[in-house]
Amino acid sequence: MTERIKSLLERTFDKEQAKFRRDVDWKPLLERFVAEGVSDMARARIGLEEMLKAETPAFMDGERLVFLRTVKQIPDLHTEEEMDARRAAGTAFGEKGVVFNMTADFGPAIRDGLETRLLEIDARLAELKSRQDGGFPAQDGSDRESRRPAGGDAEGIEFLENAMLSVKAVIDLAERYDAAGAARPSYQAVAPALRKGARNFHEALQTLRILHYAMWCEGEYHCGLGRIDQYLHPYYKADVESGRLSEDGALEELEEFFIACNRDSDLYIGIQQGDNGQSVMLGGVTRDGKPAFNDLSRLCLKACGELKLVDPKINLRVDKSTPLEIYELGTELTAKGLGFPQYANDDVVIPALQRWGYELEDARDYSVAACWEFLIPGCGMDINNIDAVSFVGALDRALRNLAQRRRDAEGGLRYEDVEKEFFAEIQRRADALVEKYAHVEILPGPFVSVISTDCIKKARDISKGAKYNNFGIHGTGIAVAVDSLASVRELVFEKKLVTLEELVKLLDTDFAGRPDVLAAAKSAPKMGNADARADDLAKWIIGFWGHAFDGKRNDRGGIFRPGTGSAMYYIWHAREVPASPDGRLKGEPLSANWAPSLDVPVKGPVSVVRSFTEPDLGLVCNGGPLTIEIHDSAFAMADGVEKVAHLVKFFIERGGHQMQINTINRETLKDAQKHPERHRHLIVRVWGWSGYFVELDKEYQDQIIKRVELKG
Amino acid sequence: MKGRIFEIREFTLHDGPGVRTTVFMKGCPLRCAWCHNPEGQSFETETMRSAAPGGSAPGADRTVGRDWTPEDLASELLKNADIMAQSGGGVTFSGGEPLAQCGFILETLPLLKAKGVDVAVETSGYVPLESYRAAIPQFDFVYQDVKLLDAAEFRRWTCGDVSVVLDNIAYLRESGVRFVFRVPLVPGVNDSPSDRAAFVEFARGCRMEFLPYNPAAGAKYPLLGRKFPLDGIPDAIR
Ligand code: SF4
Repeated sequence: MTERIKSLLERTFDKEQAKFRRDVDWKPLLERFVAEGVSDMARARIGLEEMLKAETPAFMDGERLVFLRTVKQIPDLHTEEEMDARRAAGTAFGEKGVVFNMTADFGPAIRDGLETRLLEIDARLAELKSRQDGGFPAQDGSDRESRRPAGGDAEGIEFLENAMLSVKAVIDLAERYDAAGAARPSYQAVAPALRKGARNFHEALQTLRILHYAMWCEGEYHCGLGRIDQYLHPYYKADVESGRLSEDGALEELEEFFIACNRDSDLYIGIQQGDNGQSVMLGGVTRDGKPAFNDLSRLCLKACGELKLVDPKINLRVDKSTPLEIYELGTELTAKGLGFPQYANDDVVIPALQRWGYELEDARDYSVAACWEFLIPGCGMDINNIDAVSFVGALDRALRNLAQRRRDAEGGLRYEDVEKEFFAEIQRRADALVEKYAHVEILPGPFVSVISTDCIKKARDISKGAKYNNFGIHGTGIAVAVDSLASVRELVFEKKLVTLEELVKLLDTDFAGRPDVLAAAKSAPKMGNADARADDLAKWIIGFWGHAFDGKRNDRGGIFRPGTGSAMYYIWHAREVPASPDGRLKGEPLSANWAPSLDVPVKGPVSVVRSFTEPDLGLVCNGGPLTIEIHDSAFAMADGVEKVAHLVKFFIERGGHQMQINTINRETLKDAQKHPERHRHLIVRVWGWSGYFVELDKEYQDQIIKRVELKG
Repeated sequence: MKGRIFEIREFTLHDGPGVRTTVFMKGCPLRCAWCHNPEGQSFETETMRSAAPGGSAPGADRTVGRDWTPEDLASELLKNADIMAQSGGGVTFSGGEPLAQCGFILETLPLLKAKGVDVAVETSGYVPLESYRAAIPQFDFVYQDVKLLDAAEFRRWTCGDVSVVLDNIAYLRESGVRFVFRVPLVPGVNDSPSDRAAFVEFARGCRMEFLPYNPAAGAKYPLLGRKFPLDGIPDAIR
């Protein structure tokens, strides 16, 4: 790491950039929108324009990649009342309602420059307008759009006009930067490349920085960066081959870009600080199926290893043929405690996406959303974490239904009845979500549309739909559900220790008065021990869950993709149920994602991997990783990296879909709760992202401390 | 013949190459003052309170020590034969003193080796020479403890007779089996510069590694209702 980078890194970590920030009260703007009845589209554009106008070019000493946020708040474009009224009228929204949790098509925008897009918009506008006037006859009869009667495509025109102004607003800020920067020593202008297209690696990174920054300013959030090792590679390669750039020089550029990703990130708060969706996908295969891991992928891993920052969050695509060496490069980051890379398995994900209707070339181009949901950059407007089904909640309800019914009508209850009722409950919940999201709207993002695929051509904002418009629904708490089911089978039906009615009552009282039942529940089979008595249940639940949405469509033409992630639901869903039959007491959290229950005895990581790769994970490729925690002493020995790399490879070869590894030490975490000031740099993997432990709410900290820590 | 085991741990990181499972055999004829696996010392099954790591539930009692037939143990271990093969790993027998249950080991090893599993052992060398000679050649690799070289010191800190170990080591050096000496450094016991120099001299021509002292070595004693022998020994010890 060069001295310049070191200094930038330290100052960014210490938030020197915060001194440039100011508060802006956007209320008057919102009031104007409401008073004047400004359309959604115009609000999005005006919001961006005003936001960028309010921004002041600012520079940190020694930086060569510029652009940083100086206005703390992004304007709200709608009042709560407006949104509530729409909800009341039957419209559902994904989270805040705006375009989010997606990745734009940065490559072509960086290559072509925004002026190319302006020309395209201009041409398309001219075409639509002339059609509106009755001119411009249809080129061929199949194009229904062009045969529209007078009046034409007002929506298309509104989109294009606003898109054009949005783009101009972004270019305008770049030009103000150049004007302000001109006096600075060795300042490199940013607007020319933004307008005309990048000519080298530096310009490509700078343009990427601006485009990404502009998306946040437009109100998008969880903005992923996608496959940077692919779309930036041509610039890197040309520079290195021509001798313009050394390997070290490229590393320095990349490191500066990565630092920049941490500059404004504290303004991008998700559910928790650090949950900001700045994900990067490395490796995998190209759109035509060739191995894609390249020198730049390698350099990205190296840069992250040197910087030890939480952003960007690295994902690494691998498959059966990936050599151990690449896993080792990834594991070196794990060893440094970064909580990433998160691995994704091409052998499982690509066919799964194809099965769900993704074209092969697109499927090969997959990246991830903020955490783990697989998406196609540029052409995926999936709402990939729209909601979740709590397996634990479904089981609780099923048991209560059965207990109730049994009281109503005497008769022998069989274990099979439990399974049947549990399925029925999962299906009911799945169906209810299909219903709930029957009509979803997304608020427009004209700028992000310009840097996504085909929006200009279609003259439609990306919020109106892209090539893929699927909804992702996670199933949470798999391990607690499996363990609970195994416990019900053993306690109620095999050992007949309690009746189902009694058990249900015990759940409400935390097993009061029956320590024997609690002990038996705790020693029933647990998922994560390579024990078929538990693992078969998981196989069967996933087999069912994976098909729970078959044949269902949303009104954007997309499907529902089941997954295995938990996001923040592992905290929320735990609050909705009392104790569970596995012996988890009320208030104790669920495990995050695809992982063993908290505090259960497991044999070790190999058995965990074995158990969690038993189900057919291709069925649940909305994503949601096996999450395991390895004690930091694992890396004390020189070959620790190699061993952990083997563990990941083993997971992939057994058909795992996604995996992430936390390197932790409970004692350190506990000490960090007591003395946060001593552990400012301590990074942990929370659910699908890495964050600074001391910045998390205690509830999330505690959950991590309770995870099964696998020691060597 | 059955073997008594107090833990089978997967993915151990300090017991040899590749992904390994370590079998902790119960019972040891020595009583090293710094022993961090006190539940491995007695040959009898014992009751131990669990430490309830990070958990809210109070630690429950559990029984340590379970008897296994060679067949059952082998089939349990062979469940991970795939990742052992993938990673060049295998099984390591540790303890306690694994060679104290030499007969069981000799029955178990062929079952593992027949499936191509690499087998290693971690031993104090404090077993009869016949056991040692019978077992050692069956292993692919040996971790041979060297704790103290001086007879009086050895007796003081381990309650054993160092000549037993030295005789076995003499055999090991000639056996042709690959091995490494492991020296657990214990502050105030065997970690002075002259101690270290003596170990280096002793191991001349052979591989040797020093193991750092585990500061949490005494953690499990109270769970067994015992007192850590190094407690109350001057600060230099810990
Ligand atoms: S030889 Fe090993 S197991 Fe036996 S007492 Fe000494 S340290 Fe403990």
